[in-house]
Amino acid sequence: MEQGRERVTMSHASNPAQPTFVFGKRDEPGRAIWFLLGPCLLYLVVFSIYPLFHSLRLSLTDLTAATGTGNFVGLDNYRALLVDPLFWNAAKNSAIMVFFSVAIQLVLGVALALFFNLHLRGSWIVRGILLLPMLMTPIIVGVMWRALLNPDWGLVNWAIKSVGLTPPDWLGSVGMSMVTLILVDCWQWTPFVFIIVFARLQALSQDVFEAAQVDGAGPLVTFRRITLPMLMPAIVFAGVFRAVDAFRSFDLIYGLSYGGPARSTTTLSFFSFQNGFQFQNYGYAAAVAYMMLLILALGTTLMLKFVQIRPGASR
Amino acid sequence: MTVKDQADHPQNAENETIEIAGLTRRDLMQRASLFGLAAAFGGFGAGMPAFAADFDMKKYAGTKISLLMTGDENDHRVLAELMPQFVEETGMELEVTSPALGPLIEKTLQNLKAERSSFDLINYLGFLTTQQVGGGYYDQLNSYIEDPAKTPADWDFPDIIPAALKNVGIFDMANGAVGEGSDIFGIPGVHSGSVIYFYRKDLFEAAGLQPAKTWDEFKAAAEKLHTGDVAGCSFIGANDFSLATVDWYTRFITTGGVLMTGSPKEKNFKPQVNSPEGINALQMLIDVLPYAPANVTKYGFAENVDGFSTGKIAQMIFWATIAGPVLNPENSMVAETTGTTPVPSGDGKSPRAIQGGWGIGIPKNSDPAKKDAAWLALTWITSKAVNRYSIEKYNIDANRTSAFTDPELVAKFPYLKDSLKAIETADIIPTSRIPEFFQLNDIMNVEFNAALIGQQDAKTACDKVQTQWEDLLRKAGHLA
Repeated sequence: MEQGRERVTMSHASNPAQPTFVFGKRDEPGRAIWFLLGPCLLYLVVFSIYPLFHSLRLSLTDLTAATGTGNFVGLDNYRALLVDPLFWNAAKNSAIMVFFSVAIQLVLGVALALFFNLHLRGSWIVRGILLLPMLMTPIIVGVMWRALLNPDWGLVNWAIKSVGLTPPDWLGSVGMSMVTLILVDCWQWTPFVFIIVFARLQALSQDVFEAAQVDGAGPLVTFRRITLPMLMPAIVFAGVFRAVDAFRSFDLIYGLSYGGPARSTTTLSFFSFQNGFQFQNYGYAAAVAYMMLLILALGTTLMLKFVQIRPGASR
Repeated sequence: MTVKDQADHPQNAENETIEIAGLTRRDLMQRASLFGLAAAFGGFGAGMPAFAADFDMKKYAGTKISLLMTGDENDHRVLAELMPQFVEETGMELEVTSPALGPLIEKTLQNLKAERSSFDLINYLGFLTTQQVGGGYYDQLNSYIEDPAKTPADWDFPDIIPAALKNVGIFDMANGAVGEGSDIFGIPGVHSGSVIYFYRKDLFEAAGLQPAKTWDEFKAAAEKLHTGDVAGCSFIGANDFSLATVDWYTRFITTGGVLMTGSPKEKNFKPQVNSPEGINALQMLIDVLPYAPANVTKYGFAENVDGFSTGKIAQMIFWATIAGPVLNPENSMVAETTGTTPVPSGDGKSPRAIQGGWGIGIPKNSDPAKKDAAWLALTWITSKAVNRYSIEKYNIDANRTSAFTDPELVAKFPYLKDSLKAIETADIIPTSRIPEFFQLNDIMNVEFNAALIGQQDAKTACDKVQTQWEDLLRKAGHLA
């Protein structure tokens, strides 16, 4: 690259009559860089960096709709959070949802990828249908499943009853509502894991598998020793992506269970929404959001640090 | 009758309107000059076409008025359907923005606190009157109401139900008290409403029962009428705004409960949720669970209205404005066999329930050049014709006595007389006096719903609410 650059520079220097480029001389890209990156940087500053700092500032105030003007209260909101049982309840629910959702989705997603990698006849049609849930808006998914699981006239309960079984109280009991939330989240997002893993699977060199076959490795050994390690980057990527997404999931909960019953599906994002948009406690809601950011940053870092991401290598 | 008269003696407003209908034109003029023209003319709107004709409804033609209003109910549909009529009659353009309640509050507060409001008119929930009107964000409207040059004569101010006006329009800024004094900052609109009792006449007659007047009778009827096909009663059992405000609160206040003592200003605003009446009100709901739909703990507005409309519920108390469609044959299978009365109550207590409804005001920081036009648009939106259309088309509880007593409408929807009485006698929930209203309500709904699904008993739920409310009130500075 350096050589190429040098060559261009020399060529340019040896021919002063050469026309300048639209954004300046190729060997002096300064202005061009700012021109090209400018809009992107401006977008980042306006829509990401400024709101990030603004919400940080907000989290250090006692701003509510009632007061109108927020007074600086330092870390009071964070201190209040740490002793707020509702915050810990929401944190616990978030942890449960993320852990089980992601675990189930990874297992199912990998299994589906392996299954579709067999290239059975007509599998492309099923594959296409399988991806549909992922294309839907989460709030629509929530509302749709709420209707499907309606205890009085929902299709799911009708089907269960029609075979003589008693349907569970999907969204009405404290124990079951989180299970339902996780199942619906898995219904929507398992295809995402599947498609990532499947893409990786398609890209794997067949030489390795042929060599394993020649060496007499059975399917299980091949999967454990070759396929899984080689898929690991895709699995980790999908896992981290899904964990972050599930952690901040709000719209699905809004449409499906509205955090209930008895706050059994109130996650941190829903708790932040309630404080910010229902109770207009903007300072407190911003503090919840920052705690989420902190947890996410820590969680993602740890996950990437300890999970094996490259085939055969530990990070 | 003047604005002040109506505010000071709301109970006389309807009578006064009728009484002045017998005055001569000379009496009227004398009275008008003494007490204010608009209100006096209002009582004569229908009989004095000359006055109405003198008023130029098109004086602000070409002006564009921007209204921010609720999109959660049918009110915005009413205005959308009547928009051509608005344009034709006023020559103005009305631009309506109608988000759901949460975004509405957010948008409202942003606008009220901005240097210049983007909206010339803003629609606010009655429970937020203290927050928004009390915050000093709206123009006082008395001068508009009393100025015949600004108010159409047939707008008929005294026709507005005084209780609805008290709930959303009248505010004593000096004492921070809603419904006190005579200063008006908002006009009830597009709908008001309280809670009434809906029952299946056919089922009650077949069982030899009378509609319940007491809560004991309500439970006894529920027990007797409950079958595999029809639930003996229903209520809002989900973690929903109206679990606390309709079903629990109605039982609570009609059995002698007083929700709050003291005042936020004195910092002694103390809840009485775990009082014997509070626990008993929740226990009443738990006691009728066996006679309610199997999934009543997940029932909100839609489930109850659907259940009743399809004949699966024998009785319930409900917001009249939301359950009104069960009496509309176009929406209901039991319209002909549904009866209404005021809500049941405890022995020796009067039936009454919570006051609901919306107000519309002119933000202080809206465009000064358009304020008079905004007022004229406001009078149109809250006019008799719009009120009538709201009831007829959507069974919305309107705000005018004339709409509730219109013989044609009453013949079509007999529930209107109960609905009017409910609004007139309704109770403004005291927690709506503080901005933490929704948070308090949420705590109550969560704990009460947990009691209904068997997670805790009534006393534990009420004790938990009491503790959480006290903590919150202390934090907010309403309780020392």
